[in-house]
Amino acid sequence: MNIKISKLKNLVITTLALVIFGFNAPAQSIVVTDIVGREVKLDAPAKRIILGEGRQLTTLALLHPDPVSIVAGWTGDFKKSGGLLYEEYLKAYPAMANIPSIGSSGKETVSTEQIISLRPDLAIFGAGSHGPDARSADVIRQLEAAGIPIVFVDFRLHPFTNTVPSIQILGMVLGQEKKAAEFASFYNRRMNHIKGTLAKHPDLPRPKVYMEMIRGNVPPGSPGKGNLGEFIEFVGGTNIGTILPGEVGTLNMEYVISEQPDIYIATGIAVPGEDGLVIGQDIYAYQTQQSLHYLASRSVVSPLNAIQQGKVYGMWHLFYDSPLNIAAVEAMAKWTHPELFGKLNPHGVLKEINERFLALPLKGVFFAELKQ
Amino acid sequence: MSQEKENIAIGYRKQFTKRVLLLFALTGATIISFCVDIAVGPSTLGFTDVLKTLFSKDSMDLATQVIVWEVRMPYSIMALLVGASLSIAGCEMQTIMNNAMASPFTLGVSAAASFGAALAIIIGVSLPGVGTEWMVLANAFLFAFGATMLLQTLSSLKGAGPEGLVLFGIALVFTFNAFTGILQYMASAEALQQFIFWSLGSLTKANWESIRFLLIIIFAIVPFSLASAWKLTALRLGEDSAKSFGVNVGRLRFLSLLRVSILTAGSVSFVGTIGFIGLVGPHIAKLLVGEDHRFSLPASVLSGALIMSLASIASKAIVHGAIIPVGIVTSLIGVPVFIILIFNKRTK
Repeated sequence: MNIKISKLKNLVITTLALVIFGFNAPAQSIVVTDIVGREVKLDAPAKRIILGEGRQLTTLALLHPDPVSIVAGWTGDFKKSGGLLYEEYLKAYPAMANIPSIGSSGKETVSTEQIISLRPDLAIFGAGSHGPDARSADVIRQLEAAGIPIVFVDFRLHPFTNTVPSIQILGMVLGQEKKAAEFASFYNRRMNHIKGTLAKHPDLPRPKVYMEMIRGNVPPGSPGKGNLGEFIEFVGGTNIGTILPGEVGTLNMEYVISEQPDIYIATGIAVPGEDGLVIGQDIYAYQTQQSLHYLASRSVVSPLNAIQQGKVYGMWHLFYDSPLNIAAVEAMAKWTHPELFGKLNPHGVLKEINERFLALPLKGVFFAELKQ
Repeated sequence: MSQEKENIAIGYRKQFTKRVLLLFALTGATIISFCVDIAVGPSTLGFTDVLKTLFSKDSMDLATQVIVWEVRMPYSIMALLVGASLSIAGCEMQTIMNNAMASPFTLGVSAAASFGAALAIIIGVSLPGVGTEWMVLANAFLFAFGATMLLQTLSSLKGAGPEGLVLFGIALVFTFNAFTGILQYMASAEALQQFIFWSLGSLTKANWESIRFLLIIIFAIVPFSLASAWKLTALRLGEDSAKSFGVNVGRLRFLSLLRVSILTAGSVSFVGTIGFIGLVGPHIAKLLVGEDHRFSLPASVLSGALIMSLASIASKAIVHGAIIPVGIVTSLIGVPVFIILIFNKRTK
């Protein structure tokens, strides 16, 4: 009821403003409804932004030619998990080293006082994220009281329904609607191709997929019902991790063996010299192959059909929380149903994104297929 | 008079027999639990198939071989070893410190070992000359031993009663947890993930190499504990009585704490921090067989192994196909046993 009234009020105000100032309004204010349904008002496109998850700098880079220039503060997670991509950004934008930190990578490390003292004109938070998110009631209340607008976007909780609206929201608050619309249509076209093709084959067998999120040399986690698990189901596979009670968990290897998955996918963010799946920016193909080969040669996975038939794939982990997820979807569609999607080229998708959108191109290995 | 003596002798023999029987019963229960542990899993593989695979590996298909030899056996054996070492470490600590609240976990020895491990995992720092594969173990031991020596120094100070020791131990727990927290704050995502997983305590890290290593530690250390049983029992009667029996208390303390540090560091570096066993294992043992260390030490080994083995079963069985980190389950399994024993003792 309140929302309705406030919407009505805003409509009245906007209409009045239009009548009074016409189209020559000195500062055109921006009103957006963010991904969790809050209405947010900005006086002008944001120029001093707080990123609740530092890694979303790469999302800003899709829409803004100089993303670092508009970031007033961020969390430290991009430095921690960005690997060589972070180094590449630092080379291209040395000013990035001076972006003030508002906290490390956990919600509990974020300082609201620091955010307020940076006098941002907008905070961009993920609806569910490592940084402050829609559940961080204290941070939201304090920032709102300080008059700092917060916009929630989401590429993680519901990547398939929220990516395009989130990009459109970002386009509006950054004053980059045109670029956002271009990306949205690019994204939708590719997505609809996969959706449409799968819809034409309702009786398609759904191969079992076992995904490991590799982190160093400890036993890996696997996705449950959310996020990457959703990716698997979306491209017409069966995620054997759906039995997990949470979004992520450890599967009993015995269960994995008895399920006999047809496809094995590892995700990772390791850089050369670290344990794990070496993949991402500025990584060479042979380095990814080496680490993937090691993963496939562990004796616990040796009895899997997927391993014996060479259906072993690797993918950069950070696609899980990014509008670049379209490339991951294409790769996974190709691996799961080569008979339908064999011609898709996920690295080609990244190339097109590089050329048309990204301020700093991605180069390196982001997807890999184990060569025997 | 001689009648009385005879009664005491008969009573002693009765008690002795009862305690030996209890040790046998604990052994039996541990064996049964181990058998259940290796017979339980999300696949349809039953106990007889497991036995077949154990005795003629090549007659079974690859999947069965891997399930038995790489999944079930390492988890189950590791559970026994870790439970045994933490529990006997706790038993010795309680006697040496003369404090029922003493255990590697409550007095900060595990926290110190964790911090050492975090230094190795997150920053890669260790003693010069230690290879990367031994860093975690070496650091865990170094800090565990440092912490026990600190505790020991404090407990020998005048005026530091049992409460003082517990308070100091709690201070160590918080100090080392804070240090570890600072490291975590600075860690890269990859190292942090590794460390978090490690600090949860999980048997999924078990493999034959770590089993072999922990087994060597146990076989090298536990006989010395058992050989000190008489001296430890004497110490239970008080430091002065122990001295009057000719026990070199200082030396006994030092060697005992060295053993505690090695056992704690060994298990902590292979499966992570598991809190509950070192405190409750020895209490369960003492509630069953009393304070005589000839019995309470082996009973601690067995009760620790038994609780961990039960926890291992639960960690696999709670959610079909998933593994709940065993550190979480241990308390849930051990507490009911503990409470039942306390109430039984009261009603007696």
